[in-house]
Amino acid sequence: MSEDRANTAEDNDNTTDFGFTRVDRDAKAGMVRGVFDSVASRYDLMNDLMSGGIHRLWKRFTIELCAVRPGQTILDIAGGTGDLAARFSRLVGQDGKVILADINAAMLEVGRDRLIDKGASDNIEVVQADAQYLPFADNSIDCITIAFGLRNVTDKAIALQSMLRVLRPGGRLLVLEFSKPTSPLLGKIYDQYSFQILPAMGRLVAQDADSYRYLAESIRKHPDQETLLAMMADAGFVESRYHNMTGGIVAVHQGFKA
Amino acid sequence: MTQHDPALLSAALAGAERAMNQAIALSPTSHQALGGLSGTLLGVEVTTLDLTLYIKMVDATEVRLMTHCEDQTDAFVRGTLEDFGALATSEDPAAILINSSIELQGSSHSLIALQQVVSRMDIDWEAPLVDALGDVMGHQIAEGLRSVFRWGEGARASLKRQVSEYLLEEGRLTPPKAELEHFYDAVQSLAMRVDRAQNQVEKLLAKAALKRETQ
Repeated sequence: MSEDRANTAEDNDNTTDFGFTRVDRDAKAGMVRGVFDSVASRYDLMNDLMSGGIHRLWKRFTIELCAVRPGQTILDIAGGTGDLAARFSRLVGQDGKVILADINAAMLEVGRDRLIDKGASDNIEVVQADAQYLPFADNSIDCITIAFGLRNVTDKAIALQSMLRVLRPGGRLLVLEFSKPTSPLLGKIYDQYSFQILPAMGRLVAQDADSYRYLAESIRKHPDQETLLAMMADAGFVESRYHNMTGGIVAVHQGFKA
Repeated sequence: MTQHDPALLSAALAGAERAMNQAIALSPTSHQALGGLSGTLLGVEVTTLDLTLYIKMVDATEVRLMTHCEDQTDAFVRGTLEDFGALATSEDPAAILINSSIELQGSSHSLIALQQVVSRMDIDWEAPLVDALGDVMGHQIAEGLRSVFRWGEGARASLKRQVSEYLLEEGRLTPPKAELEHFYDAVQSLAMRVDRAQNQVEKLLAKAALKRETQ
């Protein structure tokens, strides 16, 4: 499948990827919204089932790389059901602020309710926002995370530039995203899992095989480790690097604003 | 940072962190001492495993384990797995720090204080059993477990004594401790005498060379 992996050096025509399908650029956000509207209520359950709970470990390591300090302002883009935001809320303390942002209202609603249930809403703001056009002031954020969200953004280059704009100088971006397995054998096993087992699980748990098929396809179309690293450099991030996790199935990219 | 898969390390640390925080929750007598260490950050590099981890004392009831940390550590220690095993179980951690190959950067105070809190932890295993099973059943099971632990501890001590006696007295496979210490002293004394003799020889050679030059 690696040959299908688009480098997404943003497409020149007026279309873009929606999984393995080419769709009109203006239509992608709405279609992605449709997918997440469908899975929102069972999103965390499905994540646990799909990854065997490992997504919690990937997120734990990402949070460590953020090196959050009390009093900082953290923006969690595509934060969905708020699991990262809840953790950040404790780390920044009462003097800090966490902004939970997502383009999808249904996901945000689930996230907001969950944060209230956890008693973690004091220093958290919930904002419906498009990653490409972040509604925040320049140089206002200490750290941005986007976990399993960048691949759903229509124009990743514009989104990266928007993130760079709102970051404070010295601030950092962490992109946690599915990537390319480093071993060909693992890649084959992973393909079988993604295109056979994952949609079946989606059908069983969320009664929605198509949405989970889209998730698998969108992972394959997402830029691989080196391509995303180059995209971050193009956007203006410095000191960029990445860590592969679970054999490269997932990678976390880190970059700083100079 | 080490070359291990971060997800695997995170899994190990998440499990260890959970177990440690559970143990702290069950040991209320250690909360005051841990409270005094709040905010302390220790770095530990285990050279045997090519692993670096950080231990943050969040407050009196919570420890956080991390694979990555950019804050200044109060103490950073580097050593082998065996060194850290000896340090963790030692009654005299300061002696281990001085005599082992553990390298320490920063203050040893917080490290020794944490080691002492951990070694003196009195974990109340009965509390969760009573919560889950009720007073009578919980207490009975806890008593049973305590007997098993006591027996295990006694058996371990007895086995250690008997093995030691066999190796020393019956098998004559190892020398007695006093004899061994005497031997070490003799070796050290010999090494010092050899050093002194070598210095004397070098001094004489230098003197002879000087004499030859002046002639």
